[in-house]
This record gives sequence, structure tokens and C-alpha cells, in this order.
Amino acid sequence: MSLRWKILTGFLLLSLLLAVAGIWSIYHFNFLGGSVQKVMDENYRSVDASITMLEALEREDSAILLYLLKNKDVGHRQLTTADSLFRYGLNQARANITMPEENDLISAIDQTYLQFRKLFSTLLENTGEDTDLDWYFNEAHRTFQDTKLAVRTLMQANDSEMYRQGVQMKDEANRASMPGVVAIIVALFFSLIFSYFVHYFMIRPMLKMINGIETYLKTGSLPKLNVNTQDELGKLAISIQILCSKTDLHRDDQ
Amino acid sequence: MRLHVILRNMGFVLLLNSVFLMIAGIISIVNHETSAFPLFYSSLVALLFGLFPLVFAPPVKDISNKEGLTIVVSSWLISCLIGMLPYILWGGPFTITNAWFESVSGYTTTGSSILSDIEILPRGLLFWRSLTHWIGGMGIVIFVLAILPYMGIAGMVLYRSEVSHHTQEKLRFRTRKAAQILLSIYIGLTLVQTLLMMLGGMGILDALAHSFATIATGGFSTKNASIAYFNSVYIEIVTIVFMILSGIHFGLLYTSVKSGIGNLFRSSIVRVYLGLMLVGTVLVAGQLVEHLDLVWPTAFRQAAFQITSIGTSTGFATADSNFWPPLAKVIIIFFTLQCACAGSTSGGIKVERIILFGKTIGKKMKEILHPHAIINVKIDEKVIDPSVLEMGVLYVSVYLLFVFVSTLLLTAMNVDPMSAFSGSAACMGNVGPGFGIVGSVANFGPLPAAGKWVLSFIMLFGRLEIFGLVIFLSPDTWKSWR
Repeated sequence: MSLRWKILTGFLLLSLLLAVAGIWSIYHFNFLGGSVQKVMDENYRSVDASITMLEALEREDSAILLYLLKNKDVGHRQLTTADSLFRYGLNQARANITMPEENDLISAIDQTYLQFRKLFSTLLENTGEDTDLDWYFNEAHRTFQDTKLAVRTLMQANDSEMYRQGVQMKDEANRASMPGVVAIIVALFFSLIFSYFVHYFMIRPMLKMINGIETYLKTGSLPKLNVNTQDELGKLAISIQILCSKTDLHRDDQ
Repeated sequence: MRLHVILRNMGFVLLLNSVFLMIAGIISIVNHETSAFPLFYSSLVALLFGLFPLVFAPPVKDISNKEGLTIVVSSWLISCLIGMLPYILWGGPFTITNAWFESVSGYTTTGSSILSDIEILPRGLLFWRSLTHWIGGMGIVIFVLAILPYMGIAGMVLYRSEVSHHTQEKLRFRTRKAAQILLSIYIGLTLVQTLLMMLGGMGILDALAHSFATIATGGFSTKNASIAYFNSVYIEIVTIVFMILSGIHFGLLYTSVKSGIGNLFRSSIVRVYLGLMLVGTVLVAGQLVEHLDLVWPTAFRQAAFQITSIGTSTGFATADSNFWPPLAKVIIIFFTLQCACAGSTSGGIKVERIILFGKTIGKKMKEILHPHAIINVKIDEKVIDPSVLEMGVLYVSVYLLFVFVSTLLLTAMNVDPMSAFSGSAACMGNVGPGFGIVGSVANFGPLPAAGKWVLSFIMLFGRLEIFGLVIFLSPDTWKSWR
């Protein structure tokens, strides 16, 4: 094989390795970027919706208490506002279903909230005879806690999914960066091996030929060159030996 | 020593690894798995380092003994490095330490794993894991020797470096023919067992993977519960038979195939090997009946499998031997240290050396009693040279020293003594499971990282029959570079 092809083979393979590593890393980093966006758009939106619902529920709970403590106007207004806020949060969550179990979780929130809503609607319509603090603790507050739990379950499910996706992204990041790291280490070792081969099979034979020619010029006798490679350098060594023999013959003839 | 000669010969080994990585990569692609790229990329890296020296360095027919040894040891080390690449690139539980450990465990056919959940790995990666056993089992160099007919004297030097003295004694063929015989037995056993496993209901990939692990006496299973997952007496019996066969000198198997099964039993080594396993099985079964209230058939089934598995350094499991009675554990530890016969893919001290060790002690005691007597040690009516006896005793001593030092180091890292000792013995003997936190249904994951490095190096010492690696690492070897 010629010198050109020997050197080219090494560089071609190394270039292929680096190109493949580069393309793969770019693909995975793009995928990673997309995953981050996906987590923010999908799971975090559901978490945000859950936080909105929880806030709304707390306001409704305090509004009920205000109403029971005869602050009916403020309580009524707060209940109405908080109810709208809750339904906004619930609609946000419903429009953002990304996990198989999310549908069931949202249905559970819907059902418990309907019960809670029925209770505080009763309060608003009622004159207050059987809606006192006992009613609050035995019914309203219990239903409020159930609804809160259902919302928390949805939030935890999305939190877990975000964590799982975070772990997956960590793996993706590893998969994106590792080929590059391996390519760098391989390139370093390859360059060392390549340098050795270039020295042993190119520089060393060239130095042998140079020394041989210098010896011939000084002493008139060419030492054995010992360059046995099957490439241009081997041919050059043979050519030098032929040239020196012909020069000797010409000198002898003279 | 000439670096280009060493690199050129290592190139063949790397090309072989590259081909096998590509096969595993194809399996990943067919199954649409995430391990496709790691396997193909690793194949490309192996191709680069394998092909380049072959392109640049011309073939050389004369290789010195030191060069031969360096080629063999370096081939092992470079294969382990290449073998860890798919794991690192895939990620998951594979840190650099874990990937190195798993790769070394594969190539040295130890079968110890850091994985707590094997089944999460893609099929391509599981296949590669089993392939490392198969490649390592026969010695990478034997493959190359059998495939490249023109290596001549160079081939003989490599053969002597790779194959133990006891194996060379038995195989009275020319190097290339001997390598081809070993390889044909190896491939033949693998194919037959694969077929039988498939007849037992295993899928083709599982059958191949378990056959690789059996014939190489490695032990990597594709299932968390190992062979116990299949819950099949048929599969257990097939595995036991092939584990036993894989623990016998392959040359002896070859001559038995040619001249009849009776040939096997003419060897006193085989008789001792089989006899000890039978006695061990009966003793352990008795212990299980007495202490664990098992019925005899169940006790015998579990004992037979575990004793054969450990006694051949395979490492498959059908029961958790951590809960077995103390005597049963001690018997298992004996087999962990001894293992099977030379000339097989098994690790350990080997039956021959244990016999030589015992006979040497007997000889010395007789010489003390009869100072003027000339006492010869014989195996199968053949007188054993005193230098071979000396080497055998030395090997056993150094082997136990390595186990002891490893146990010390692990204990210093706060690993409990039973896990440290059994893990060290299991890794040195290339067996796989020990006791305690590294038991037959556990894994080596909980060990500290430094401990895994210690164990991975003693796996290499064990696989390379200690002195190979010691000589490689000695300053005298490195002084002779030119």
C-alpha cells in the first residue's frame, strides 16, 4: 500500500469517528433541549395549574369562614372569585393531560370539588340556621381537605414525572457528551500511535537513506539500507542502491 | 521489544472485537434500541485501532517470547477497554468504574456483575455482554491463531503465551492444528447447547447468550434470577451437562469424540474432577435436607446445579446459597478455589494443580521419612518433572496470597470479611458469585469503587494465570523496548 493511502486511511477513519461523534452529540443535545421545553410546557404547566387550584381552595375555605363569621359580603365576593380561579386552574390542567393516569386524577378533582361547591352554594343560599361552625368542621372543611388531597395527588404525579424526565435527561446528556469525550481520548491515543508509526516507518527509513548517502559520499561505499517497506520509501531505497551501483560501475569504467 | 509488532498483532484482536460489536449493534437496530449507536461507535473505535496498525506495519514472522507475552496481555487489556465503551456510551448504571468492572468480568469469564437489574439493558447490550464471555473464554489469541494460517513461528510464540503448560502437554498437535481443535470443540459445544436450550423453550437470543456464558464458564445471564428464572428441570440439566463438559480439557473432549466416551474416564484428572463434584453435591444436598427441611429431590437439584456451577467457575444460580448451612458454604468455597480442569475455559487453581499440590506434600513427607528414597510423582502413569511440581506449589501459594491480599484490601474498605473473602476468591477464580453482599442472587454494585478496581485486577491475574500479568508488569519486560 502506498504511503499516501496509509496516511489517508488513518485520517479517514479518525475523521469518520469524529464526524459520527459530532453528529450524534448534536442530535442528542437538540433532543435534550426539546425535552427541557417539553417538561416546562407540559408537566410544569400542570404543576402550575395545581398550585392555582390549591390557592383557590384556600381562599374558598377562608371565605366560608368569613361568611360564617357574619362578614357575608366579603365572604360571598371571595367565594365567587376563588371559584372562578379554581375552575380556571382545573381547565388548564384538563387541557394539559400528558400522562395516562392524569385523566383519572382530574376526574377525581372534579368530583370532589363539585361536592365542595355544592356545600358552599348551600351556604350562600341558606339563611344560616344549620350552617354553623359544626357544619363547617364536619362537612365543608372535610370536603375541602378531600379536594385539596386530590389536587396534591395530581401535583405529585406531575412532580414525579418531572423527576423521571430529569433522570432521563441526565442519561440523554451523558449519551450526548460521552461520544465526544471518547472521540477526544481516541484521537489523542491515535495521534500518539500515528506519530510512532510515522517516525518508525517514514522518518527512520529516510534518516537511514540520508546517512547511507552521506556515507557513500565520504567513503564511496553504500551501506545496506534495510528499508523493506512496500511503499514509496522502499522504492526510493532500491533506487538509491541502483544509482550508487551504477555510479560505482561508471567510476570503475573510467 | 518492537512496539509496531505488538500493535500489529493486537490489531487482529481489535478487528475481531469490532466484528462482534457490529453483530450486537445489528441486534440493537433490529429491536430499535438505544444501545445501537454505542455498539456501532465502539465497533468503529475498535476498527480504527485494529485496522491502522495492519495497514502501516508489515507482517513479521519472528516474535520473541517477551513480545508474545506482551501481545497476549495487551490484547486482554485493550479488549477490556474496548469492551467497556458500549456500557459507558449507553449510560444508565454504568459509571467508568462499573463499565470497566463489567467488561473485565465479561472477558475474563468471571460473571460478576454490578447490575441490580439486568433486564433493563437493551437486548443488543445484553448480547454484547454475553459475547465478551464467549470471546474471552477461548482466549482471544486462539481465535486469531486458528484463523490466520500464515503466522508460523509467531503463532507458536503467542500460543505458548496464551495457553497454560498443562494444556500444551495434552495437545500433541502443531500449534495451528491444536488451536483449530480447541476452537472447533468450543463452537461445536456452543451450537449444540443453543439448539438444546431452544428446544427447552428459550428464545434464540436467550439461548445463545446462556450458551455463550455456559461454554465460556462465565455466568452472565439475561435474567435477574439467572437460570432460576426459567424454572425448568430440562434447562437445568442441559446447563449442568454443558458446564461439566466445559470444565474438561477440550483436547480430551476432542479425542473422546473421535475414540469413544470411555477415553474421558481414563484420565485420572477427569475422574477426580467428576468424583469431587459428586461428593460435594451429595454432602451439600444432605445439609440442605437436614438444615433447610428440603426434600431430597429438591435438595439434590439445587446442590447439583450450584456445585457444578461453582465447580466449573460458571456462576449461574438456581438458589440463594447465602442462606445455606455453613458446611455447604465451605464446600462451595473449596470449589470456588479449585474449579475445573486445565485446558478448559474454567478458572481457579485447577484440579491438576490441586492434585500436584497434594502429591507434592505427600512426596515431601515420604522424603522426610525415607531421606534416601527417590520418590516420583505420577499422574496417569506419567512421571511429573520436579520443576512442574515446584511451579504447581508456587502457583497455589501465590494464588492464595492474591486472594488474601485482596480480602485485606476490601476489608480495609469496610466490606464485611465473608463478602471480602468470598468475592476475592470468586474473582480470582473467575467464578462470579460469592457470599454476603456479593451472593449468588446479589451483585457487586454495592462495593466501593476502589474495591471494584481491586477485584477487576485480580480477575485479570486469575485469567492470565498470574505469572503472565506479573511478568508483563515487571520492570525487566519494559527495559527491553527498542
